[in-house]
Amino acid sequence: MTNPVRYRTLDANEAVADVAYRLSEVIAIYPITPASIMGEHADAWSADRRANLWGTVPEVVEMQSEGGAAGAVHGSLQAGALTTTFTASQGLLLMLPDLFKLAGELTSFCMHVAARTVATHALSIFGDHSDVMAARSTGMALLASGSAQEAQDLAAIGHAVTLRARVPVLHFFDGFRTSHEIMKVVPLEDDALRALVNPEALAAHRARALDPDRPVVRGTSQNPDAYFQSREAVEPFYARFPQVLDETMARFAELTGRRYRPFDYVGHTEAERVVVLMGSGAECAHELVEHLVSRGEKVGVLKVRLFRPFSTEHLLAALPASVRSLAVLDRTKEPGSSGEPLYQELTAALVEAIARGERASLPRIVNGRYGLASKDLTPAMLRAVFEELAVASPKHRFTVGIRDDVSGSSLPFDATFDIEPDDVSRALFFGLGADGTVSANKATIKIIGEEAALFAQGHFEYDSRKAGSTTISHLRFGPRPIRSTYRIARAQFIAIHDPEFLERRDVLAAAMPGATVLLNTSLPAEKVWDALPREVQVRLVEQRCRLFVIDGYGVAERAGLGRRINTVMQICFFSLAKVLPLDEAMKHVRRSIEETWGRRGPEVVERNVAALDAALGALRELPVPSTATAARTRRPAVPPEAPDFVQRVTRLLIEGRGDELPVSAFPPDGTWPSGTSKFEKRALALEIPIWQPDVCVQCNFCSMVCPHAAIQTKVFDPAQLARAPASFRSMPEAFEPALDGLQYAVQVAPEDCTGCGLCIEVCPAKDRLKPRRKALVPEPLADHREAQREAFAFFQTLESATIAAVPIDKRTAAFRLPLFEFSGACAGCGETPYLRLLTQLFGDHLIIANATGCSSIYGGNLPTTPYTTNAEGRGPAWSNSLFEDNAEFGLGMRLAVDVRAEHARTLLKGVAARLPAALVDALLSPGSGETWIAQQRRRVKELDALLSGDASPEAVALRDRSSALVPRSVWIVGGDGWAYDIGYGGLDHVLASHKNVNVLVLDTEVYSNTGGQQSKATPLGASAKFATAGKSVRKKDLGLLAMSYGHVYVAQVAMQARSAQTVEALLEAERHPGPSIVIAHSPCIAHGYDLVNAPLQQKRAIASGMWPLYRFDPKRVDRGEAPLVLDSGAETLDVSAYMETEARFRMVELRDPARYAHLVDAARDAARQRRALYEQLAQIHLPKEKSHA
Amino acid sequence: MPDLSTTWLGLSLKSPLVVAASPLSREPDAVARAVDAGAGAVVMHSLFEEQLTHDQMAAHRFIDATVDLDAETQGIRPGARAFTVGVEPYLRELERIKRRVDVPVLASLNGTTPGGWTRYAKRLEEAGANALELNLYEVGGPEGETGAAVEARQLAVVQAVVQAVKLPVTVKLTPFYAALTAFVRDLETAGARGVAVFNRFYQPDILLDTLDVDRQLVPSTPAELPLRLHALARLSATTTLSLACTGGVHSGLDAAKAILSGAHVVQLASVLLEHGPQHVAVLQGELAGWLDGKGYKSSAEARGVLDLRSAPDPHAWERLNYTRMLDGWRARDSWRRKS
Repeated sequence: MTNPVRYRTLDANEAVADVAYRLSEVIAIYPITPASIMGEHADAWSADRRANLWGTVPEVVEMQSEGGAAGAVHGSLQAGALTTTFTASQGLLLMLPDLFKLAGELTSFCMHVAARTVATHALSIFGDHSDVMAARSTGMALLASGSAQEAQDLAAIGHAVTLRARVPVLHFFDGFRTSHEIMKVVPLEDDALRALVNPEALAAHRARALDPDRPVVRGTSQNPDAYFQSREAVEPFYARFPQVLDETMARFAELTGRRYRPFDYVGHTEAERVVVLMGSGAECAHELVEHLVSRGEKVGVLKVRLFRPFSTEHLLAALPASVRSLAVLDRTKEPGSSGEPLYQELTAALVEAIARGERASLPRIVNGRYGLASKDLTPAMLRAVFEELAVASPKHRFTVGIRDDVSGSSLPFDATFDIEPDDVSRALFFGLGADGTVSANKATIKIIGEEAALFAQGHFEYDSRKAGSTTISHLRFGPRPIRSTYRIARAQFIAIHDPEFLERRDVLAAAMPGATVLLNTSLPAEKVWDALPREVQVRLVEQRCRLFVIDGYGVAERAGLGRRINTVMQICFFSLAKVLPLDEAMKHVRRSIEETWGRRGPEVVERNVAALDAALGALRELPVPSTATAARTRRPAVPPEAPDFVQRVTRLLIEGRGDELPVSAFPPDGTWPSGTSKFEKRALALEIPIWQPDVCVQCNFCSMVCPHAAIQTKVFDPAQLARAPASFRSMPEAFEPALDGLQYAVQVAPEDCTGCGLCIEVCPAKDRLKPRRKALVPEPLADHREAQREAFAFFQTLESATIAAVPIDKRTAAFRLPLFEFSGACAGCGETPYLRLLTQLFGDHLIIANATGCSSIYGGNLPTTPYTTNAEGRGPAWSNSLFEDNAEFGLGMRLAVDVRAEHARTLLKGVAARLPAALVDALLSPGSGETWIAQQRRRVKELDALLSGDASPEAVALRDRSSALVPRSVWIVGGDGWAYDIGYGGLDHVLASHKNVNVLVLDTEVYSNTGGQQSKATPLGASAKFATAGKSVRKKDLGLLAMSYGHVYVAQVAMQARSAQTVEALLEAERHPGPSIVIAHSPCIAHGYDLVNAPLQQKRAIASGMWPLYRFDPKRVDRGEAPLVLDSGAETLDVSAYMETEARFRMVELRDPARYAHLVDAARDAARQRRALYEQLAQIHLPKEKSHA
Repeated sequence: MPDLSTTWLGLSLKSPLVVAASPLSREPDAVARAVDAGAGAVVMHSLFEEQLTHDQMAAHRFIDATVDLDAETQGIRPGARAFTVGVEPYLRELERIKRRVDVPVLASLNGTTPGGWTRYAKRLEEAGANALELNLYEVGGPEGETGAAVEARQLAVVQAVVQAVKLPVTVKLTPFYAALTAFVRDLETAGARGVAVFNRFYQPDILLDTLDVDRQLVPSTPAELPLRLHALARLSATTTLSLACTGGVHSGLDAAKAILSGAHVVQLASVLLEHGPQHVAVLQGELAGWLDGKGYKSSAEARGVLDLRSAPDPHAWERLNYTRMLDGWRARDSWRRKS
């Protein structure tokens, strides 16, 4: 008797990592979305001392880049260890050189790729095959899977086959759609894995290891006489690979009952129309083909498992001879090609088969593209493909899933076509990133998948906001395996976990007739209906929905869980969706809470369980009236005054309707207008700061600390107050004598504030009779939204007084217009204030090269972007190239700026005789600073006017180039992952130049954007992914390395604690004629504390010596001074007092107090030694340099 | 050399000098050095249920709540399984100290919930503690709660813990009981085997510049000793419970005073934090020297000889300073007899 199948609910990342880990001895990785999680699983298992199949714990190492990971993999394999890695997209591209080597050396190696779009006109973290296809010439075998089950199984087969066949294997599956989709998987037991691995092949792999006991040489350099022939010597291995794979797949079937082949065909045995594709799309095609065949259509789908080495033999065996037309669908785009890769491969194979007489006739073959960057592929789209195959002359090289009104490539499809059966339960959940909706849904799938006899699928959509992000969970439960690899279009259950979603998008679009709608709202039940926008009411009435409401926030709050409504909403789902009997569901949810949070402690479990019980008592059904009664419609997603592009394009992206936009709506080269974040009023804050002028001391701390430029300060001529609305407050300027007579205002942008509370925290002014009342008081947004919106609108129209005569310092800097505003960064983000300040100081002549990371996401992620312009239309010009090349990218910008300026100067000198000499001299003289730049702009204007009547070619050319006479400030911006790790080589090279570039390192001491992996900036003692037990190596001293060049301006700053020093450092860096680098302490949610305490925590970091402040200015050497000035004093606080207040350190203590104590000592020593070194450096006197020009 | 051994809570100690609950007992090395220097027992730093609860909820808020935030970040910190927020680290510390020293080790517990007190007490017993010190530290109970209600609540806790464990239980008290001896009698009835006098409090201060309240903890000084001596002298006369003096002992002579007042043991914290754990030897030398000089053969012999019952002038313990001064004007007994 066999045991009943025991399923696990997993996503492909976990299922694949679980196999790869057990079959490996060394795992070298580098984080990249969506593959990072495989590495993280491996790291966690290794930290828990989980053994592989051979009883040893795999060594998991995080490298400085994917290039580094590939190098380590190559070395490990050469030295005989079973080795793997996980990557995607740009990471795979960085590995290419080593992959050529590995394949050329016939190395038994299997790696796993969560396939993701390669950055082109834009970066996208989502899934397609453009990365894998870029690797197709490496010689790696390419193995594709389309679901978590297949990914697990083919991972095992990949590891086994490469040992036998020696061709290395790149196994891939679709990023997000498969890597992150949770489904029921039959796990692979150790015994099956062991039986799959051929012991002789394993021994042979080990025997090929480099070993001084039997030395060989590998990696020779070869000449024309030898290279070609030896390259051809691999051919037999490639020729036999498909057969070895098929045998391995057959062996796998013996062990598990699941039979895969190099090509798997599903459909009518006499099929006339067939689609061919790889990855998750094949699952959707499988579902549709079964549907169509059951209706008598002669159709089929050919799933390509093995793309390379391409096996014509196996293709012919799988593809019915009856096929008359064939659509080959590629999930990639190769512009300018005669067809995408799968099409080319398949066409060539079939043509060859005909030439050899293996097939009688060539079917009609067409090529289509679909699914770039995770664009959905639905049965409706695939039906359109099948219908196209039936017409006399089907469209060739079509696209499906979009509307291409530019090249006319797209196939139209009927979006209402739906084949999902009624016995599949479909539920949609709209949640906020931080409310736990996704986590709760994952737990729900696990419960239903593992406790009920139902198949389950969970897919999660996210936007790229860090604060107030939207998540949409798509859950399906049904009696048969679920192959619906696309979003839910018709749902029986829709949960809206925050009422704001009702205002932002059409959340009920997918509501089926009679659907159950669950709404979390803090409004009393009797007021809910009247508060709904008309569109929502109409939809509820039309679809005869049942409406249930709960005050989830209230329940969670009362249970002591803050705004985590996950368990509350989860049990409401179980109560309403009735997938399981409620008492059974309750039992499972309780157990799930205990399992998940048990290690956190009884308090956490008790509070969550209490919330569970309270939730059911608070759930109410609201009868839906027979007609809609509301007059109010949804607020427009963008204001009416927004420009045309924002109305046509941005608005639809904000409303979640981007799929409706045709190709023509988009710029073809990735160039977008800046300054669009101001049109997206997200109203995230529950409470906003309300200014109390009677208490205010006008210090501008509030506007200086704000991460979102959502509280601003201004001095202005009081005459402008005549137009002020009643809600606007101001007071006479009383801080700076030079500004006497002006009016001062602090103004919140109510709908852009995230409610982080930092401004209130740093406000030093207190009402002396009620010290709890500061000059900023938190008040509910709802009470102030309209009035403050009006006040902010007026504030924006106020012309700022000219304050250029007053020296720039931490206060006057805050009066300057921020040209970085309302980004999607986390509430309380510690990076964004630096960028805001940068734009306040240099924004109108600023060019930014931005490394990939958090700052490129909140800086440049659609739908709206935060870099904006001033009244003259000037502002930062911003671009992101890659993660690894940013310093070089910025240097290139500097070179171009210099060349253009030099060209303009040359042209000017050429026509100088025709112009006033004083003007020419002034235009050619060097200068800097905002006053000088303003004067230069006026001179350029004057020049243009003088040239306007001159039609000579040199005058025309100069007018064209004259703006280049105004200096440009080039800033290279990125995080520590870039500056310390992957981009360090380039950064080092750029610093080693004499070019006038400025580098701003936003140092969060961890890879924030990809989820908290350690970087070389991670401080000693902190835990991070890949340093779970606490990092035992000191933080790299990037500043000291930069100082070693001698000509580089270097500063280390911490703005929330010491903004005066930050302002000074940025101004000095800008003035420094050579390269400069400013390393900025950036509090981050990854540090694990409430970021409202970041200013205090930063003070602790400085006081404990963990973050010394300094400025190293090479110019000081000329003045006979030591170049280094320490801006923070000797330590006044023990490092432990800093460390114990952040979870990243504290969890090391909780995990292992003895190790923590040891690491605290080591951190203290490191801080003291660093301090001592700096103190000595601050004393040194260097001889002046002679001119070496 | 006089015999310094003593019996405390039924445990035989080689010396009445005991390492008090303090940050010192977080470090097994330091504890071992104190024991090598002569300490007779070790009281671990307190396990605060409130701290555990706070840590658990903080981890839940700052780690568990930062998962599944956006497409790139499934979690920003290593996973839930990476560490435990519970009593386990404390238990492991206890076990480590137990392995390092051969003297009794007491665990110290400060609970906030009835279930918490007994749940953690049992875990501490299982982990090998030789006795429990219950730290009844609370700054303020519910608004309007009477002194009697506070005492009743505390007695119930002590009784529950005594019933839950087999270990001897001692109770660390605050100085602020209206009727200390009566409360200690009730503690005895509840099953406590000893009391320690007195707990010390954080000393909040006012920051005049910023209109803030400053939290601080300053080390004890010998000036705090008299309050303890007074309590010991009264308790020694009225209870058979084991008595510990804690707070204000900075020299062997201070220790001698506490013992003379009735203390079975003298707990040391600030003095060791200031001078290092090996300083126990200095205090022990001073104590032994004084006992020797006065001709006491053992510390046990000196214990309580100046308590309320035995002191030559019990009024010295019973009157406040200003009444003692008035005493000076009162006719001496001998004079009264003459008249």
